Parts: sequence; C-alpha cells; structure tokens
Amino acid sequence: MDADALAPVTPERPVGVAIVDDHPVVIDGVRAWLATEPRLTVLATGDDPDEVLRAAPTADVILLDLRLRGRLVLDKLAELSAAGRRVVVYSEHSDPPTMLAALDAGAVAFLAKHEGREHCVATVLDAAADRPYVAPALAGAMVGDSRPDRPVLSDKERQALLLWFQSMSKASVARRMRISEHTVKQYVDRARIKYSRVGRPAATKAALLARAIEDGLIRPEEIGIYRSHAATDWPTP
Amino acid sequence: MSADPGLAGQTQSLPAPRTPELVLATRAGRAAAAVVRISDRGARIVVVTIALVWHLAIGLPAVLANRAELTLPQVVIGGWLLVAVLGVIAGGRLLRDAPLPAPPLAALLLTVDVVVFAAVGRSQLFGPANWVWGGLAWFFVVVIWRQPVRWIFALLAAHACTGITAVVCYGAIAAADLARATMALYGTSSLPAAVFAGAATLAALSRDRAATAATTNTMVAEREAAERARRDRHERLALVSAAAGEVLTELAQGRAEPTDPQVQRRCAHAAARLRRLIAESDDVPHPLLHELRAAADLAERNGLRIDLVTIGNPPPLPVRIRRKLTDPLIAVLADARDWARLTVVSSSDEVEVGLVTPDDGRAPTDGGPAAPDGVPVAADGGPATVSGGLVTFAAAGHDANGPPSAHGEGQVEHLYERDGKITWTQTRWHR
Repeated sequence: MDADALAPVTPERPVGVAIVDDHPVVIDGVRAWLATEPRLTVLATGDDPDEVLRAAPTADVILLDLRLRGRLVLDKLAELSAAGRRVVVYSEHSDPPTMLAALDAGAVAFLAKHEGREHCVATVLDAAADRPYVAPALAGAMVGDSRPDRPVLSDKERQALLLWFQSMSKASVARRMRISEHTVKQYVDRARIKYSRVGRPAATKAALLARAIEDGLIRPEEIGIYRSHAATDWPTP
Repeated sequence: MSADPGLAGQTQSLPAPRTPELVLATRAGRAAAAVVRISDRGARIVVVTIALVWHLAIGLPAVLANRAELTLPQVVIGGWLLVAVLGVIAGGRLLRDAPLPAPPLAALLLTVDVVVFAAVGRSQLFGPANWVWGGLAWFFVVVIWRQPVRWIFALLAAHACTGITAVVCYGAIAAADLARATMALYGTSSLPAAVFAGAATLAALSRDRAATAATTNTMVAEREAAERARRDRHERLALVSAAAGEVLTELAQGRAEPTDPQVQRRCAHAAARLRRLIAESDDVPHPLLHELRAAADLAERNGLRIDLVTIGNPPPLPVRIRRKLTDPLIAVLADARDWARLTVVSSSDEVEVGLVTPDDGRAPTDGGPAAPDGVPVAADGGPATVSGGLVTFAAAGHDANGPPSAHGEGQVEHLYERDGKITWTQTRWHR
C-alpha cells in the first residue's frame, strides 16, 4: 500500500485531483466544475489511470470514468482502492448493480454523470477527507439493493435514503422526517458506511470507517458485525 | 389493442389467422377425447376380464382334458399360450390407455385361428378342446378396441370363413355338422360384436356430448370476455370524456381562450390522462413503469426537462391501484414548468413513486378545488395543513368514488408538499 496515498488533507494544502476519462470534452467539463472551488486543484488528466498517476503521484482524489475505451474498469478500480487511492467513480451507467459493484470494489463515492455539476465539488472534498458522500442516484441504489448479502439498514436510514433519492433536497427530507438536516446527513452517511464492509477489502474502506468512528458516526464496536439499528436509532435531532 | 400512432402506416407480417371455429373445434375435441377416455374405461375392464377368464377357466381345462384326442396337441396348446400372452399384454396396455398396434395383432390372431383349426383334428372339431370357436372372438375385441365398428365385423367374418373352411376340409358337411358350426359361430360372435358396437356407440355419444358442452362453455367464456372488454372500453371512454371532453367543448364553443395559460394547462393535463389511458391498455411487462414513461414522454415533448429514475421492478398491480399511484403525479406533471424529477422505487410488496417539481407558487389545477390562498385540497378529501410556508396533505387509500379496495389489494397513500422551492408529490402502495 502506498503510504502517501492516504495522507490526511490539511486546510493549508489544496486537494490534488487527477481526472481519468477517455473523452477530452468531459475532462474539460469536470475541470470547469472543480475550478469554482479554490480548495481543489487538478494535477493531471488522461485516459490511462497508470499514466495519470505517474504524472501526479500525490493526487489525493482520482475521478475515474468507469468505462474507458469501451470497457468497464472495475478491476482497475479495485486495484487502486486496495492500494489506498481514493477513487470517486463517475459514470453514465447509473444502474444500481453497477453502482453497488463500484462501492464493493472500494470506490469512495459514485456520481452519476447527470449529477456531476451539482455534486462533484462536494463529493471530491468529502472524499479527500475520507468522509462518505452519497449522491441521490447512489442513495436510490442502496434503497433498492436486494442482494442477499446486503447490509442491514435501519428504518430511519432507509427512509432518509429514499427521501433524499426522491427529492434531492436534504432540507425537505429533514422537514418530512421531522429531524434536523444534520441528522438526515448522519442517517445517509451511516447507511453508506455500512457499505464499506461488503465486497472486497480496500484501504480506502478502512480509512472511511476510521474517519466515521473519529467523527462519532459509528461506534468502534459496530465494526465487524451487522446489527439492525432500527431499535436504537441513535443520531439525535 | 395498441393505439400507438407510431405504428400507423407500418406493414406488419401477421401469423396465419386462426378462425374462431377452428380454435373452438380444437378445444372441444381435446375435451371430448378426455371424456371418452374416462367414460369407456368400464367397458374396457369388462372385455379384458371376459377374454382372459374365458380363455383360462373354460379354454384351458378343455384343451388339457382332451389333448389325447388332438392331432397336434403341442400346436393347439402353443396357440393357446400365445393368445394368453398376447391377451395379457394387450389387455394391460388397453387398461393403461396405451396405444395398441391393431392390424398386426389382428393378423396374428387370425393366423392362430387357422393353425388351431388345422391342428385340432376331426374328432375335436366341434369338441370343447377346439378353444378358438368360443374364446378367440373376445381377443378380437381387445386388440381392436376404439377402431371403427366395421373392423369387428370383418374379423368375425374372417373367423367364420376359417371355421366353415375347416368344417368343409374335414368333410363334416352333414346337415347336423353345418347346423352346429352355424350355431357355434353365431353363439360365440354375437355377444362380442354387440359389446364392441355398443361401446363404440356410447363412446361416440359421450364424445359428441362432451364436445358440445366444451364448445358451449368456450363460447360462454368468450362472450363474457368480450362483454368485459366492451365494458372496459366504455369505462375508458367515460374517463377519456371526463379528461378531454370538457375543455374541448369549451374551446369549440369559444368559451375558452387557447392563449390563456390556464386553458393550456388544462389541455396538457387532459393530454397526459389520454396518454396514460392509452398506455394502460398496452400489454407490457411492467405496466406501471410504462404508464409513467408515457406521461414523462409527453411532458418532455411539452418542453419539460424530466428525469425518470426507476429502481426495482414493480409487482403486477390492478389498474385501479395503478391509477391511484399515477393520477396525482400526472396532474402535477401536466402543470410543471422547467424541470421535474420522477422516481419509482419498487419491491415485491411496496411501490413508492415520487415527483419533485419547482414550486412557482401557482395553485395546482387538479389537486382539487384551490382554496382562495392557493392551498390545494386533496381530491380524495385528505386534510391539508399549512405550517411555516409548508403545505402538506396526506390521504390514505380510501376512494370516495370507487368501491372499497378488494381484500389483499393493499392501499395507496398520497402525500403532497410544497415549501416555496419545490413541490413534492408522493404516492405509496404497500401490500
């Protein structure tokens, strides 16, 4: 595992981003979105993950198009995540199975391409800080997950995910559930953290879990076994 | 019925038409054959039993008792054994309703007939040891069961010819011998012939009756289906009239102004309902998604940027439930400006449909009668609440206009909310 890859991002140092996509026009678009945020700087772009990383070995976050030259690169994604690279996947394939497969392989976040403009900056910032970020499309994929080995979500977590997926407005979800926006985010993030324990092991998942414990999002004893938290929905409004 | 205008003008290769008469005849034929199989089972048991019991209880003791007087006793006994084996196999197959190769079996029996007459000798020609006189006719019946009646008469005639020929060849042509031969032939042939002809007649009768009954049932079922389809069309027509008739009438009479945005919205809504009604009658795997797609397509053609995201596959739902799920959303969608997000999340016992549109402060045209301050009231009488700029109403699945939902259909909840930024319509069905 590359020791530098999981170096904590400090406020003084801007977040280095590498963009891997085989369409120059998409790279330009993403670059334009990220340029609106001074805390982000694009270090390298290209259509080959290895070349891009050689050009920018210190990149904190890699934005990876899941389909490169006509092939889904889930294996490359797993390899990068196992090596401790924070990969944010963005793809026009926003079907639930693909999104969940990307999470299993260790992607720290998944953006559907149509969500990019709105959610891209926030996702990259959260990814750099090892914090979960769940865009609405991914929330929908988690709600609809019917795989037998899926994580057990509590009723509140599921409701928060569903309403977030439907409305794309955490304020509306908070009103509907009669809780604070902060608590809505906690429910959504807790659901996301539960997904860090399925699929292939990856350094990025360990980092997400560690930060979740640090932030008080989950308790250390909750790691390792699944329990439904329906009985004790403990984020408080 | 597909009313998709896109199909107009396309040539389609259709399968060869099956006439209703042909379909009915095929169904009735299958049903009748089943009835016949069941109804002549009793007769089959009777003939197999008579043939084997006669052969064993009457034929065998007579042959064994008089074998010293036979010209070729081994041949006569061999013939008896062969017919016994054939009878057991053929009888078993007949009772199990398995097919029998009638012509070769009949030919084998006639051959045995000739051989036994030749081997029996003059002294036992009319004696009890000549078992083919009486016993063979029942085996004819067994092996040609369900063949046309002329078969039994043909075989009995051949059997009679063999017998008469043997009588003549043995020189037993005295009046008394001929009378005995005639008596023997008549006495042993009349009963099998009668049983066979009677069973065939009964089978034909039951086949006709069953075919008639099956045809009648099929016709009744098809008439009911046609009647139901007609009723459905009428209901649909009534719905369509309600959807589009009013606004079209007003336009035609000049009471509605086409440039009036309110009238345009009503037209959009009517068009959306028409599109939904057309989509409802399409035969597709997931009708709910199909109907929502139809509504989304129409909204898109009216210049709305619409996002339709579906997760999971909805279970089959009756049309009443589907309408309750889609109607409130279609009303809001017809009214929407700029953009809309339509989401469907389904599992086997729950379907949640959500629609988010920008809130531009206008009262919805079809959320029921608008209150003076623009607060919508649920069409199905749900209570509306207003708090801090947020308007909400919730309605559970009772239906003021329709019959109560059938047991097990589940119910539909309807939520509507607006907060100045977005309007949020949600319908949820759960088992």
